[in-house]
Amino acid sequence: MSFHSVGSVDEFPDPSSTLVEVDDRAVALIHAAGHFYAIDDVCTHDGGPLSDGPIDAEAKTIACPRHGAKFDLKSGAALTMPATKPTVAHEVKVEDGQVLVRLSD
Amino acid sequence: MTATLSSQGYDQAAFDELLAGLDEPGWMTDRRRDAFQAFCDTPWPSSKDEEWMRTDIRLFKLDQFAKPADPASSPANPGLLTQGVDLGGHVQSVDGDLVSEELSDSLAAKGVLFGGMQRMIAEHGDKLRPAIERDIVCPKYDRFAMLNAAFWTCGAVLYVPKGVAIEEPLHALSVLGAEKSADLSRTLVVLEDGAEATLLAETASASPDAAGLHCGAIELIVGAGAKLRYVNLQNWNNKVWHFAHQKAVVGKQGQLQWTIGALGAKLAKVNQHVALEGSDAEAQVNGAMFTQGRQHLTYNTHQHHEAPYCRSDLLYKTALQDKSRTVWRGMIKVDKPAQRTDAYQRNDNLMLSEHSRADSIPGLEIEADDVRCTHGSTSGKVDESQIFYAMTRGYTRKEAVRMIVSGFFQQIFDRITIESVREALGEAIGQRVQDLSNQ
Repeated sequence: MSFHSVGSVDEFPDPSSTLVEVDDRAVALIHAAGHFYAIDDVCTHDGGPLSDGPIDAEAKTIACPRHGAKFDLKSGAALTMPATKPTVAHEVKVEDGQVLVRLSD
Repeated sequence: MTATLSSQGYDQAAFDELLAGLDEPGWMTDRRRDAFQAFCDTPWPSSKDEEWMRTDIRLFKLDQFAKPADPASSPANPGLLTQGVDLGGHVQSVDGDLVSEELSDSLAAKGVLFGGMQRMIAEHGDKLRPAIERDIVCPKYDRFAMLNAAFWTCGAVLYVPKGVAIEEPLHALSVLGAEKSADLSRTLVVLEDGAEATLLAETASASPDAAGLHCGAIELIVGAGAKLRYVNLQNWNNKVWHFAHQKAVVGKQGQLQWTIGALGAKLAKVNQHVALEGSDAEAQVNGAMFTQGRQHLTYNTHQHHEAPYCRSDLLYKTALQDKSRTVWRGMIKVDKPAQRTDAYQRNDNLMLSEHSRADSIPGLEIEADDVRCTHGSTSGKVDESQIFYAMTRGYTRKEAVRMIVSGFFQQIFDRITIESVREALGEAIGQRVQDLSNQ
């Protein structure tokens, strides 16, 4: 899998969470406390979107807007109920002002 | 007579261009204008709507799709359902254009009408108009219904006069060929009182990896004492967005057997409604779904009992591989006058991988007080002990899994009375079953 550009750094304020499309996949790109994170935009509890949920930049988590399940931004791990399974975390890097995402699988 | 969209998108310019190329009665054009206006004024469904909560269409971009400007060539493959069947007629479309239509002389002599929707409306508009104006599928149900009602370009009409029974099945095939092409089609079946017919409809992609869009509407009208067998096999490739509204109405003592096979599509969202309008009417609905990769199929079914002494029986079976996902929401609705209703709905899901997901949501809404309405739902994995047993009898793991999956669908196959359909569906599902050890 190769890196895909999802836009320039300026398009993603800090903090923000944005739905981006990478190779037909819905990915939540999160800019928080100077870092970029990319996870599948899917809450593993009920399959709903995550990207509209609140971000905790300090704890590096995002919460599902529907039932409050929290996920680790870096690993995708499910941290609180009702989610029990991790969502997929993807590799992100910034090069020449562009944010690049590589899908994990 | 066929329209060609050269501009991208579904805006005013594209709509005007479509109308300029059509040869249809004024009342139909008025219906299109009405639907287009509603389309312009309505937003896409939101994930906050209960109906769309589990179906994420945020990556769907309508403007990426259009009817190709160049006429597509005829498909090489006549379809899965035609093998070993003597057909009474067929209709084929490619990329939203009718490419061929045929009806046997003997059926035409009996007054049967069968052919492409545009020609049928141009030639028999007066006869079809009352059925069309019943709005069996509400043209303003949601933005997809509006899109279809405004921009449809192809589809099939079957009209069987009173008391005429057709033995030979009729066949309709819709093909998507070009990259990012759109198929906006409608199907209308009208069986007058006492008529009988079988219609086999299927979809196919000419290329395994060309993205596409299908936005369709199917309307089935089964008259009093009439009998319709309708098969709909959705077999697009896994890059097609499939949105469809389908509804049947069944008159007094009418019978409907409606079989759905859902194998393809990247994302499918289908509303399948059956309304039993006349007393003592009967509907049997069979669904077989097989998903793989990252496919997402959502089927909302609705069994609406409006009259007394009606029977409806719905069985949906789903097998899921890889990271695919299905959603089935079923509703049995019984109106107050529909006493002595006998209704059943059931959805079984067979999970063939750890990462697949099936949501199964049956529902009942009953206003009558003398009814039998029940539902059931199961979800489970393949039983390892069954695989082990089959392997001790000399089968490979793959063969064992295929047998178990085939056995899972057998209940559906047993209900399908048309042999060619049974075989085609079984074969298509069998080809998709992978070795469970690879999951």
